[in-house]
Amino acid sequence: MKKYFLLPLTLLLALCFQAAAQIGVNQPGIKQRRPLPPEYGRVVIGQNVDNPQLSPVVFEHWIHRSMFTCRVCHVDIGFAMKANGSGITPSDIQRGYYCGACHNGRMVHADKAVFAGCSLHETVADQERCDRCHSYGKVAKSDYNFARFSANLPKERFGNGIDWEKAEVQGLIQSTDFVEGISVRRTSLAVQKDFALNPKVESMPDIIFSHKKHTVWNGCELCHPEIFFGVKRGMTKYTMVDIFQGRSCGACHSTVAFPTMDCQRCHSRPVQQ
Amino acid sequence: MRKLAIFVSVLAFLVPGRPWVAAQSQPQAPANSAEQQAFLREFNDACSQTQDAMLLTKDELKDLVRRCDALVPRLTKLDDTQRKVYKRRLEQCRGLFAYVLDTKKDSDK
Repeated sequence: MKKYFLLPLTLLLALCFQAAAQIGVNQPGIKQRRPLPPEYGRVVIGQNVDNPQLSPVVFEHWIHRSMFTCRVCHVDIGFAMKANGSGITPSDIQRGYYCGACHNGRMVHADKAVFAGCSLHETVADQERCDRCHSYGKVAKSDYNFARFSANLPKERFGNGIDWEKAEVQGLIQSTDFVEGISVRRTSLAVQKDFALNPKVESMPDIIFSHKKHTVWNGCELCHPEIFFGVKRGMTKYTMVDIFQGRSCGACHSTVAFPTMDCQRCHSRPVQQ
Repeated sequence: MRKLAIFVSVLAFLVPGRPWVAAQSQPQAPANSAEQQAFLREFNDACSQTQDAMLLTKDELKDLVRRCDALVPRLTKLDDTQRKVYKRRLEQCRGLFAYVLDTKKDSDK
C-alpha cells in the first residue's frame, strides 16, 4: 500500500519545490546577494554581438575612481551612467574615445604606460591584453590587488569598505579631474551651499546634502539636469523607493558610491526635539 | 554534410559585422578637418564655463544656451564616434546652462 503513495508523494513534493523556486526567481524584491567589497561597483559591459567569442568587459570602478574623478569619465569622456548605455564599439576605442581615451598605450600613470585597449590588428600575443578587460568568466591578470590597495585607506562599513570621501580629503588618493586632449579646461568651481532636506518619515533625521562633497567628484553637469532636474528645491519628490531603484541619489548610491543601506551618512542631522 | 559545413563557413566569413574587418575597412575620420576643429574650439569655449554657471547672469546663460543650440546641427559634420561622444557632452553642457537659467528665473519670482 505504501508503494502506491510514495510515487505520487515524491512527484507532489518535487512540483512544490519547483513552484517555490519559480516564485523565488520571478518575484521582484527577493533579496540579492550583497557584493563583496572588491565587487562593489563592478560593471559588466555586454556581450559583443559582432564577436561572440570575446567575453564581456568587467569594469572595476574602484581602480578607476582611485585615479580619476567621476566627471572625467562620465562628462569629459562621455560614458553613460548605465551599463551598456554608451554603445561603445572597438572602433571607438581604437580611435581614442571612451576606454581608448586613456587605454591607448601612450598615457602614463604612476610612471607606467597605461595598457592599450582594442587594437586594429589583433594577434595571438594580444590575447592576454584583450583578456585584461574582456575578462568575464576568466581569471584576468591585473596590476592591482584590492586587498593591498585598500589596506591603508580609511574604512567604511558598506560598499567597497573604503571611505572614499575621507581618503580624498586626507590626500590618500589623488583623483585627476583632467585628461589632456579630452577634458575642457575649466576655472575652479564656485561651490554652492550645503542644504538640508526634510524626510517624509517623522523622527527620521534630516538629510544634509553637501554640494561641496559632491562637486569634488562630479562637477555640476553630471547631476544637473540629467539626474536632478527639479529647479525649485523641495518641489521634486524623491522617495526611498525611487532611490532603491537607482533614480536620483540611487544613480550613484546604489552602484558605486556608498550604498543606501548606510542610512546615517545622509540622514545625518539629529532630530530636533 | 561536409559541403554544408563549408558553405556555412564561407557564409560566416562573408557576413558583415565582424569588428576586425569593420575596423580595417572603416575610413579613419580626418581628425583635424577644419570643421571638426572649429566645432571643438567652440564646444570647449562654451562648455568650459559650466563651473561658473551659477555666477553668470541670465543674459550670459541665455547666450551660452544659444551657442550650444547652434552647435547641434554641426554635430552631423563629425564622424560617427565623435558625434556619439559630443552629442552627449553637448546635452549635458546645454542642459546645465538651461537648468541654472531656470533656477535663476524661478528665484526671481
